[in-house]
Amino acid sequence: MPSLNDKVKELSDIERKLLLALSKESAPLEDASISSGVPIDSVRRASAWLNEKGFAIVSEKETESLVLTADGEKALEKGMPENVLLETLSRLGGKSTFVELEKESCLSKQEFMAALGINKRKAFVVIMQGSISETGVAKQEDFSEQNFLRDIVDKKKVSDELSLELLKRGLVERRKTTARTIKISPQGEDAKELLSKENISRAFDVSAPVPEIFAGKKAPYIQFLQQIRSKLVSLGFKEMDTKLIVTEFYNFDVLFQPQNHPARSWTDTYQLKNPKKGALPEKKYVDAIKAAHENGGKAKSKGWGYDWSFDIASRLMPSAHGTAHSARQLIKGVELPRKYFAIARCFRPDVLDATHLIEFNQMEGFIVGEELNFRHLLGMLKDFAIEVAGAEKVKFFPDYYPFTEPSVQLSAKHPELGWIEFAGAGMFRPEMLENLGIKGEAIAWGMGIDRLAMFKLGIKDIRYLFSEDLGYLRNAKGVLL
Amino acid sequence: MPNLEVSKKDLELLLGKKFAGREDLEGALEYVKGEIDSLEGDALKIDCKETNRPDLWSAEGIARDLKARTGKEKGIKEYTVQRSKVDVFVHENLEKVRPLIACAVVKDVKITEELLKQMIQLQEKVGENYGRKRKELGIGLYDFDIMKPPVYYKGFKDNEIEFIPLEWKVPMRPSEILSQHEKGKQYKHLLEGSNLFPIVIDSNKTVASMPPIINSQTTGKVTEKTKNLFIEVTGFKWETVETALEVICMALADRRGKIFSCRTHFPSAKKPYPAKTLYTPVFATEKMSFDKEIVNKKTGLGFKDKEIIDLLGRARYNAVIKGSKLTVEYPTYRTDILQAVDVIEDLLISYGFNNIAPQKIEMNVLGSELKESKYTDFVREGAIGIALQEVMTFNLSSKLVQGVNMRLANDSFVEIANPVSINFEVLRKRLAPQLLDFFSKNKGQSFPQRIFEIGTCLTLDDKAEQGVRQSTNICVALTHSNVNFTEAKSFLATLCKYMGAELEVKKKVFPFLGENSAEITVNGKKGFLGEVSPGVVEAFGLRKPVALFEFEL
Repeated sequence: MPSLNDKVKELSDIERKLLLALSKESAPLEDASISSGVPIDSVRRASAWLNEKGFAIVSEKETESLVLTADGEKALEKGMPENVLLETLSRLGGKSTFVELEKESCLSKQEFMAALGINKRKAFVVIMQGSISETGVAKQEDFSEQNFLRDIVDKKKVSDELSLELLKRGLVERRKTTARTIKISPQGEDAKELLSKENISRAFDVSAPVPEIFAGKKAPYIQFLQQIRSKLVSLGFKEMDTKLIVTEFYNFDVLFQPQNHPARSWTDTYQLKNPKKGALPEKKYVDAIKAAHENGGKAKSKGWGYDWSFDIASRLMPSAHGTAHSARQLIKGVELPRKYFAIARCFRPDVLDATHLIEFNQMEGFIVGEELNFRHLLGMLKDFAIEVAGAEKVKFFPDYYPFTEPSVQLSAKHPELGWIEFAGAGMFRPEMLENLGIKGEAIAWGMGIDRLAMFKLGIKDIRYLFSEDLGYLRNAKGVLL
Repeated sequence: MPNLEVSKKDLELLLGKKFAGREDLEGALEYVKGEIDSLEGDALKIDCKETNRPDLWSAEGIARDLKARTGKEKGIKEYTVQRSKVDVFVHENLEKVRPLIACAVVKDVKITEELLKQMIQLQEKVGENYGRKRKELGIGLYDFDIMKPPVYYKGFKDNEIEFIPLEWKVPMRPSEILSQHEKGKQYKHLLEGSNLFPIVIDSNKTVASMPPIINSQTTGKVTEKTKNLFIEVTGFKWETVETALEVICMALADRRGKIFSCRTHFPSAKKPYPAKTLYTPVFATEKMSFDKEIVNKKTGLGFKDKEIIDLLGRARYNAVIKGSKLTVEYPTYRTDILQAVDVIEDLLISYGFNNIAPQKIEMNVLGSELKESKYTDFVREGAIGIALQEVMTFNLSSKLVQGVNMRLANDSFVEIANPVSINFEVLRKRLAPQLLDFFSKNKGQSFPQRIFEIGTCLTLDDKAEQGVRQSTNICVALTHSNVNFTEAKSFLATLCKYMGAELEVKKKVFPFLGENSAEITVNGKKGFLGEVSPGVVEAFGLRKPVALFEFEL
């Protein structure tokens, strides 16, 4: 058995305040709240705890009390009907007809008749030949019923006789309520004495749960993307500016994707209803790209051999892949040598589910330099796999992209995820570089970071990258790459 | 990307070699940019990433490539073509409709179930992928023995012709086929814009097909009993049509069929026609020459001449080096070869990507992030410091969330033409509606809820480059029983103090905010602040009041 002293030590602040305010006399909890200065909600909880600890005795009693009916509320606000009737009569010059008085008093037929009866019984009015006159004997105190209604609201005692009268008139009704009262127990008195004599500091139960704090936190996916970005900056990459809406020129044409290519259809990319068309860059760039498509231009290439349409190239769309931003950079101009990257929001028509997003982030970029070759491309990919994904092994596969040749896909063996398709890459086609007047070689890459993000965030459902669940966000642990 | 289904056993039979295991098979498929999608018993599904090489899209094509890559064969594969004495006459009335046709006859084909499957698949993949959903290619195979040459390719009006289409029992007019037959409905847009329907018809006046829609049930039904095949390819561009014909003929010849050419008579020798008369298939080759040094410069590997020639031979090129000049010869159906890099990639694939030692890039350049990224990170830190939870919502939203619920039903947004769902039909103009929507999904979470988002927003703007102005906004939204204007303004003032930004607050009513609302100016950029009006709170199905602010960064 813990000593009284130990038990007192564990009392919380509100328990202590309440205990000090208790007496041997049972009191309603509301009263205990007033005398202790503890809010009623806290008193309800603290009284239960004190009861359980044996310091107080809480008893429940079902009581019946009077409460006002809707008519009662009205009478409390506007006055008793008999009073209203009399006041109206006086306003009308002390004499009136039934019809006029009823109308002017604004009372219902039933109220009017009851009020008239009371006034007649008390001889405050007389009825003669169809007209009603006041007798002048009524005094203010004769209308004490209204005050009694106030008493009922204030839970004061009223006489049984009066209660019956008010019940009969439908101004009040009986309602059953459960009232809790509290009084101190003998052990509680000892504890109270101990508390009031000595200053006993509070002892906490160190294993008890504590209230939650909602911290200011980043969205986990953003925290992940920020770290990826820092990683690329540390690897010497310069961030490119991105746009949500681009012309097909950047999304496809600069990237040597022929205009009749099936990947440019409605099923694979979003198109815009409003606005529909955008501006193309300076004519010399447009001409260069047109030549690349039609006959290869300056690149000693056959080109795709069709009539390139200015109109198709001007169509606007939400960017479908990050390479659109590399295309924008190629037109804006590149420094040699330089490494570029972008983390871009991309859009694809898909149905949103646990494995598909309609909107996602892609990391893309390219390196330009005088003397870059295919071995450098593989070297860069290997670095990414190790630095970004923490991969143990890498494997390369031939792949196809319209804008790169040779093209390669990188699979990385992650210590926990196993083999994952991690990046696509290749050397930008000469049709692009030579026609845009870019000297040297450019090796381009794009990285699928969602799978890695899901792993780092510990989620199985890809929708949690853009989580709509506040509970998840509040409880998610921080991300450390 | 074509997805192919083949029988593993059939592939091994064509190749003349058994795969040692899954890894062996995987390694082999790398040569054709193929990946195993699934392998269940004998049924092998392959994702072929080579979207510009129809010659690879069948078991025969894969086997043809692998035979060279593994050293069994070398260089261009030669096919013998004999003359069939079949003439094909092309009518000039199709010049604007679908002008070109190329035909061939393949005899003594032992048609098996596997061959039929592969032919149907090849026809389908070539028509869909290489032929841009049949727009540029229609392919048909027929029982040659019931056809009577010469064959005519001519445009007919709807009331001039009728025939029984494949999988049908009664004759139909072209317009009926387009409106009732499954294939007709699927491809009818390809014949729009003309009152003529292209028809392939023989000398018995038996219709073979209406390209590129459907074959006739009479001659177009190829079964295991068929021995000799007539093949027809139609389209607009000679190179494409000829390529498709050769691809089909090669696959049949790889199964011991004998190829016979047909003589086609065109209305003229002028474009779009390739010649007045010519025999198809041609199996022509072309040559490309470039400095051999380009190979080593691109690859970073010091290949010797002999190695270059050998590796190209494995990729089915006939290559010669004279001095510094490398000349490669390849079949014209390799329409994917546009430039020297295409040849070089093929050489590297023969060599094997995983046999190449990666090399580190030595480049002395400094990395940097965008000023905008730095700034949003800076503001984000401030928002987190005042105990706000960051959320990230989609840019794609609905008119309901962005417009109607916000009492902005007449507002205009950047709008998607082909939305998949009405929940994602516009690009967001404001963050505030997204955060209100977020609250509506978290009514069961404990309160107070105090969140923020920093994200891009789009506004239609004629003066902007693409008719769209893109901004980065921050929105802070607070909800609990007693939230009010003052609380939101406190958060705003604290954030502005952190940002070192000047804040102006002027009383102004917004449709979605109640009486207590204001226009704010932060560092000269506009925004709004206030208690969300009860109607809007209700529209989002929220039970507690919300106060918020949003401004551009």
